[in-house]
Amino acid sequence: MTDRQERAAWEADFEASMRRPLAQRMRYAFIHTYKPVLDDAPYRSFDSMADYRAWCEANLPSWLGYGRV
Amino acid sequence: MAAFEYRQAEELREAFARAGARYLFLGKSGAILLGFPDTTQDVDVFPHRSPENGRAIVAALRDLGFALTETQVEEIVRGKDFVQLRNGPFDLDLVFAPDGIESFAAAWERHVDVAGFPVCHPDDIIASKEAARRAKDRESLPRLIAFRDYWRRTR
Repeated sequence: MTDRQERAAWEADFEASMRRPLAQRMRYAFIHTYKPVLDDAPYRSFDSMADYRAWCEANLPSWLGYGRV
Repeated sequence: MAAFEYRQAEELREAFARAGARYLFLGKSGAILLGFPDTTQDVDVFPHRSPENGRAIVAALRDLGFALTETQVEEIVRGKDFVQLRNGPFDLDLVFAPDGIESFAAAWERHVDVAGFPVCHPDDIIASKEAARRAKDRESLPRLIAFRDYWRRTR
């Protein structure tokens, strides 16, 4: 698929999405799967976003995608 | 834990309004409210950081059924930069200091109202994701930027 074709496909998705009622958009959008480590504590807090990012990189499986690039 | 539902979004909106809490939807959950067709698991809220608003956020969270200890209440009132809640009816992240956004006041100035839901402007959602530089955002950002351009053209 070329960039132009990909862009056209995205635009078609956007148009279809905007035609849906908000409740339906949200039903399609919000999913839940278990995320190891991240979902294993009922509460976490961090003094700074840098601390949070560092914690994610040190503790979460890389495939969750929370590491910085 | 089930997926976040529209009914819960309405309950959040109403509980935060009753408590007088000032906040914005941020992240992909905000983009989805704007119409971005994608999937997410997280509900990200950007609250205004002040002790008064922190107490309002706590009242709203307790109203919604989040079980908060006194230590957790103190941290929310203080406005720690990032608070992750998995102790309520849905997963919720409070992001008091999102990367890439200079202040709550600036974000509020340009926010978008979607059926009573206060949502960060797509420029701010994109800025926060660009500044966070996470691998999981890298793939979705080009499509989110394309959506921002489409949204601007068609609103």
